[in-house]
Amino acid sequence: MTATGDGLTYLVGAERNLRELLLDSDVLPLLQGVLAAGAAGARLVDEYGAELWSVRDPGGGGEQLSDLPLLLEGEQVARIQVSGEREGLEACAELLRVALDTVLRNSLKRVLTTEIHTTVVNSSYQELLKTNGELALSEARYRELAGNLELRVKERTAELRRAQTHILQQEKMAAIGQLAAGVAHEINNPLGFITSNLHTLQKYVGRFTAMLQFYRDHLSLDLPVETVSAEGDRKWRELKLPIALADVGDLLSQSLSGAERVSRIVADLKGFSHVDDAGEMPVDLNAELERTLSVLSHQLRDNAEVNRELQALPTITCQPQLAGQIFLNIIQNVLCHGGAHPKITLSSCCDGERIRISIADNGPGIPAAIRSQIFEPFFTTRPVGSGTGMGLAVVYEAVLRMGGTIAVADAPGGGADFIITIPTGKD
Amino acid sequence: MIEYSEKERRMVLKLVYYGPALSGKTTNLLQLHEQLTRQGRGELMVLDTTGDRTIYFDLLPFFLTAPSGLKIKVKAYTVPGQVCHDATRKAVLQRADGVAFIADSKPGETESNFASFDNLERNLAQTGLDIDTLPLVIQFNKRDLPDCLAEEEIRSAWGPTGIPVLMASALRGVGVTETFAALAGLVYDRVDTRFDLAGGHGLSREEFVRQLTTVHDDNGEGE
Repeated sequence: MTATGDGLTYLVGAERNLRELLLDSDVLPLLQGVLAAGAAGARLVDEYGAELWSVRDPGGGGEQLSDLPLLLEGEQVARIQVSGEREGLEACAELLRVALDTVLRNSLKRVLTTEIHTTVVNSSYQELLKTNGELALSEARYRELAGNLELRVKERTAELRRAQTHILQQEKMAAIGQLAAGVAHEINNPLGFITSNLHTLQKYVGRFTAMLQFYRDHLSLDLPVETVSAEGDRKWRELKLPIALADVGDLLSQSLSGAERVSRIVADLKGFSHVDDAGEMPVDLNAELERTLSVLSHQLRDNAEVNRELQALPTITCQPQLAGQIFLNIIQNVLCHGGAHPKITLSSCCDGERIRISIADNGPGIPAAIRSQIFEPFFTTRPVGSGTGMGLAVVYEAVLRMGGTIAVADAPGGGADFIITIPTGKD
Repeated sequence: MIEYSEKERRMVLKLVYYGPALSGKTTNLLQLHEQLTRQGRGELMVLDTTGDRTIYFDLLPFFLTAPSGLKIKVKAYTVPGQVCHDATRKAVLQRADGVAFIADSKPGETESNFASFDNLERNLAQTGLDIDTLPLVIQFNKRDLPDCLAEEEIRSAWGPTGIPVLMASALRGVGVTETFAALAGLVYDRVDTRFDLAGGHGLSREEFVRQLTTVHDDNGEGE
C-alpha cells in the first residue's frame, strides 16, 4: 500500500505474503481432510522452514512422505509436507497441493479484483466530487455574472435613455434658438424704422412747438395783423414746416404698421410655441402649418417657393407644440438639404379617420438605403459637427406622441416626400 | 519500481502494456507466455473479463537471478484499453519501470492510437512519471492485416519522437518477444544506473535480456 497525491492507496503489483491471502478457515479443513484420509500429519512451512499451519493425529506416527512446493505468482512461497504410514498418501498430498494452489490462486484474484475495484471507485468518486465542486463554482460564477449583466444592461439602458432625452431636449432648444434668431431679425427691422420715425417726429414736434410759441409771443405784443401774418409766414418757411407737415402722416402710419407687424410676429411666435397652453387642446393642423411658415418667413421669403394644397381638416386633440415641432423640423430639413431654391409643396387631406399631411420638395431626395435610418437619433449626412442628427428624431418622437406614423417616399417630380398620418380620434 | 530490498536481495520491476482498445495487449502477454520457456516465468493471471475484454488487468511474472544472488522479479501488466476504464489504467500505471505502447496498424485506428498516447502522457504525468526518461517502446501490431498502414508512414509519423518503434503480429507470435526484449533492454539501462546491476551484481544487459526472453527449443514443448 502507498499513498499518492491523487488518492490512490493501493499499488497494483505490491507483493503479498501467504498469510494475507490464505485464512485458517481456508487451509485447516484441507489439512484435516488429509488426516481423515489416513495421514498422521500435514503442514505448511515457509521458505525458511518455519511452520505456518499444521495438523497432527496424536496417535499417529511415521515419516514424511511428501514435500511439495506451493507457488504464488510463479514463486515458491511455502512447502506442503505430509507424513504418515499408509500407502497412497502421496496422491493425497498432491490433491492437497492442487486444492491449496486453487484456493490461493482464486484468493489472489479476488483480493486484486476487490482492491483495484475499490481504488477505481474511490478515485472516480473523488474525481466526481472535484468535478461537482468545479461545476458548482462555475455555476455560481455564471449566476453572478448573469445577475450583474442584467443589472448592467438596465443601468446602461437607463443611462442611454437619459442621454437621449437630454439631447432631444437640447435639439428642441436649438431649434427654438434658431427660430428666436430669425424672429429677432424680423422684429428688429420694423423696430428700426419705428425708432427712426420717432426721432424724426421728435424733431418735427420741436419745430411745431417753436411755431406755436412764435404766434403766442407776437399776439401778446398787439402788433398789426399784417405784420404778424408776414412775420409768421417767414418763420413758417424758416422752420420748413410745409415739408414736416407733409411727412408726419406717412411717418405715423408707417410706425403704426411696423408696430402691428411686431405684435403679429409675437402673436405668431406665442401661438407656435404655445407657451400659454400647457395641456392638450383642439388643434387645426393647417393653422399650425401656417404658423410654422410664418415664423420661418424670413428664411423662406427669398429662398424657397411654397405651394399650398390644403384641404379643410377636422380639429384633433393634442399638445399643439408637437405639430409645430414636426413641421418646423421637416421644413428646416428641406431648407438644409433641398437645394438652393427648393419648391416646397404642402398638402393635407382627411378621410375621416386619418389626417394625411405631406411635405414634399424637389431636392435630391433621400436614398432608399438610408431611409430606415433617418429617424434614428444621431443619424446625419452632414459633416461631423454641423448637424446633431436629432432633427428628424424629434419629428419621429412628436409623431409617435400624437399616435401617428411618419414615412418618407419619393416626391412625384423627384425629391423627398414626408408623409405624416395622424388619427383623428373619431373612428 | 514496486520493491527493492537490499537485505532480502530482492527487486520487483513493473512493465506495463498500454494502448488503445483491442490493439492486442493481452495477446502480447499470451504469446510471451506461450513462447518463453517455463524456466524463468510464472503463470499468466487473467483477472475477470467481460466478453474477452480486459476490465482490470492481466499479469505475467518473470524471474531471474543475478550472479550476486539478487533475485529480480519482473511483472508485466496489461491495462484495459477502453476509454471508460481510465481510473484502472492510472492505477496499473503507478510506479511502472517501463511501458510498451501497443498501437493498432489498421488505418481507421490512427486517431485512437494518438488519443491513447495522449492519455498515456497525461496519466504518466498524473502518476508522477516522466515520459521523457521512462523506458518506452512502441509496437505497431496487426502487421498481418492486408490493409494496414505502410511501415514508412508509421516511421515518419513516430520516428521523430525518438521512441523505438517495432512491427508485430501478436496473433502469429511475430515481433512479440522482440518488443519485450527491446523494453527489457531499456529498463535494464535505467535500473543499472541506479543500482549498478553490472558492477555490483555481475548482471550484464545481454544476460538480463537473455534470461527474460529465452524461447522454447525448436522441438520441444519445453515444459
